[in-house]
Amino acid sequence: MSRFWKWTLGSFLGLLVAAFVGLSFMAGSPKDVYGLVRYALPHMHRGKLRAGDDAPDVRLLSLDGSNRFHLRERTGSRPLVVIFGSYT
Amino acid sequence: MVKIYNDYKDHADFLTVYVREAHPTDEWQMKSNVKEDVCYAQPKTLAQRVAIANDFVQRQKYPLPFGIDDMNDAAELAYSAWPERLYIIDEHGRIAYAGGMGPFKYNPEEVRAWLAKRFGPVTQTSSTSAAVPAAGTR
Repeated sequence: MSRFWKWTLGSFLGLLVAAFVGLSFMAGSPKDVYGLVRYALPHMHRGKLRAGDDAPDVRLLSLDGSNRFHLRERTGSRPLVVIFGSYT
Repeated sequence: MVKIYNDYKDHADFLTVYVREAHPTDEWQMKSNVKEDVCYAQPKTLAQRVAIANDFVQRQKYPLPFGIDDMNDAAELAYSAWPERLYIIDEHGRIAYAGGMGPFKYNPEEVRAWLAKRFGPVTQTSSTSAAVPAAGTR
């Protein structure tokens, strides 16, 4: 391997290590970097709904687990603030 | 969001939608969840989702109306809702506000600003308006 390629490969690997260390510091730990790439990254390009678009209707389950209702049933008379999330 | 709900519930409707867990024990668990004893595996059944949603509401004394996404993740997919995201739907069924993907672009103050612009600022504070920090519900 020529000297040029050794330097190129070494620089590339050095940058990779530096990026991983930097991301680990920002995310909290190396495990969080993996989580970020594995779970969050695929979602980052999503979110196509914009103001003015029709709100999709979806069927939801009530908290008691026995009744279903449509999101659209909650709209119509007043603005509806919708908070999506989970416990963790 | 609880404080915003208390401030504007006379003017707007609110609905919290529980979607797939963001940091379950069998995927990307966070240290903060271990510290706060919020440790759940990703639900495999609707009954498990219902159980976690009820745990959340009871432990946090969460007052907002609640709905649970189906196991086909229809709501999550339609609204790109994972891990957390905010929307306002107007009286005509159109998106009036679309927030960014949480947690980095999850901004309840943008919702408050929209409501304040529409209904005027509300500055009241009460003992029931304490914020409840939890994923998607701050």
